[in-house]
Amino acid sequence: MFQKTLAFKIFFWTFIILIGFFAFFPQLWMISTSLKPDAEMYKITFFQNFNLSNIIRILNNSDFLGYLRNGFSVAIISSVISTTVSALAGYSFSKFRFKGRKQVMAIILISQAFPQGLLLVSLYPMLQQVGMIDKFSSIILAYVALTLPIGTWTLKAYFDQIPNSIMEAACIDGASDLTIMSKIVMPLAYPGMTTIAIYSFVWAWNDLLYALTLISTTAKRTLASGMIFTFTGEGGNDWIGMMAASVIASIPVAIMFIFLQKFFVAGMTAGAVKG
Amino acid sequence: MKTNSKNSTLMAWLLVLPALIIFLLMILYPFVNSIFISFTNKNLIFPKNDFIGFENYVKLLKDPNTIPLIWTTFKFVFFSTLCPFTLGLIWAILMNEKFKGSQFMRGLTLVNWIIPGIAIGFLWNWIFNGDYGILNALFNKLGIIDSNVIWLAGKQTSLIAVVTARTWQMFPWYMAFIMGALQGVPKELCEASRIDGANNIKVFHHVIIPSIKPVLMLILILGAISNLQHFDLINVMTNGGPERATSTFAIEVYKKAFKEYNLGRAAALGVIWAILLGGFSWVYLRNLKEEN
Repeated sequence: MFQKTLAFKIFFWTFIILIGFFAFFPQLWMISTSLKPDAEMYKITFFQNFNLSNIIRILNNSDFLGYLRNGFSVAIISSVISTTVSALAGYSFSKFRFKGRKQVMAIILISQAFPQGLLLVSLYPMLQQVGMIDKFSSIILAYVALTLPIGTWTLKAYFDQIPNSIMEAACIDGASDLTIMSKIVMPLAYPGMTTIAIYSFVWAWNDLLYALTLISTTAKRTLASGMIFTFTGEGGNDWIGMMAASVIASIPVAIMFIFLQKFFVAGMTAGAVKG
Repeated sequence: MKTNSKNSTLMAWLLVLPALIIFLLMILYPFVNSIFISFTNKNLIFPKNDFIGFENYVKLLKDPNTIPLIWTTFKFVFFSTLCPFTLGLIWAILMNEKFKGSQFMRGLTLVNWIIPGIAIGFLWNWIFNGDYGILNALFNKLGIIDSNVIWLAGKQTSLIAVVTARTWQMFPWYMAFIMGALQGVPKELCEASRIDGANNIKVFHHVIIPSIKPVLMLILILGAISNLQHFDLINVMTNGGPERATSTFAIEVYKKAFKEYNLGRAAALGVIWAILLGGFSWVYLRNLKEEN
């Protein structure tokens, strides 16, 4: 795309060093701090002494283990429900033409711009009334709802790419609507569904606002809100502990992401632009 | 595929139904209901719930904190969109060169975007820490400052800190979109203008930018929308402080509702916030339409 002139080489090397440092040094700094022995907390040392004691300390903290467990359960359940519900709706929007279809699709898209904090102002008293405050079901429902718009639109775009001729052929062979959907079209959209499954998992895993508001018992906290409570007040100076917890919280999503990067980036960018 | 048969229409609606129910219950109804709440004195602790007309809005107009709140939100959205966009654009151009290890580097950058906001907030608080932070140590060594800056306690510097963390988190997202768009730039056009004597800057300006412009516009708008919604990093790093210097709508509505328990006032503020977001979204939708 560009000619390798001297000017381009200077541009290339300048920014690869500057932005590279900005992007990667903090990552390394987080890991390096989490591996420091306590005595080195306030010293500027970089990967000098490897020491797993703080990682082990955090992993032995029964509250933190609970946050991890709750976070995992909530994220997996949200992800499964969100992907299923989005796939069904996306399929319907893509392969059927019915009255009101366009309007429903439009309002689902527009809802992306509803301020999430404003929704909570209503959701909290509403969920309180039906006794769902401080229950996992409340945040799971919220995560499914908040990931639905992107999920539905992305999967609709996926289904659009699957030619109708495949379905017509199956129809002539006598397959029912349901068989066509579940046996023929859905399997072709697995890459798209994987994208949405990761997207919803990460959403739930990373969320702070809803978990902070809708859950109030320590034992029920998920990862982000639990970490806030662990490291405020007296825990606020435990930098090694904070970095250790951050590394532990980041590892699951980072690993999942590195393996599924190809799916994910292509799926997300396609969905948002075509959407 | 099928248009008219009654069975198909029934099935189409059945498939949409689960999504529709969750959507109506958890998003549309709360949204509309919040608009109603903004005209009441509803409170989380006291069982008040009377219609009070525009009182909440009038109080907000008179509140000396409202204009600074809009201004802070504007500054946060502006810089948190433009900074990562610029870095993302440059980084996408570099990563597009397909050198050895570029794939690995691209993946590693995207880790910033995928990890929890809470971890990012903690990390940058540690980096910006006034007494023991690495940034002060580095700046001292380079001679940029001669005494420690208490970044998170200063009115200007706390906003810089939050925007820096947000930039670090989001520039890989812009990069991913821009790299996708760069794949679609017609190579023949680049070659042709080169034969006409264009240098790198001219090719970039006259060929590459025009052909990726739709994507650039889209991510700027999407990025601004997501920054207008952003809560996590500010909440973790400064909680809106010092003295509201980093308090945006997302933070303020949360505090009004769940720290001061004033749902009516929070809702009124939220409605103003929704109107701002609506403006951006309208631009986004219009852009989409033009593209298709």
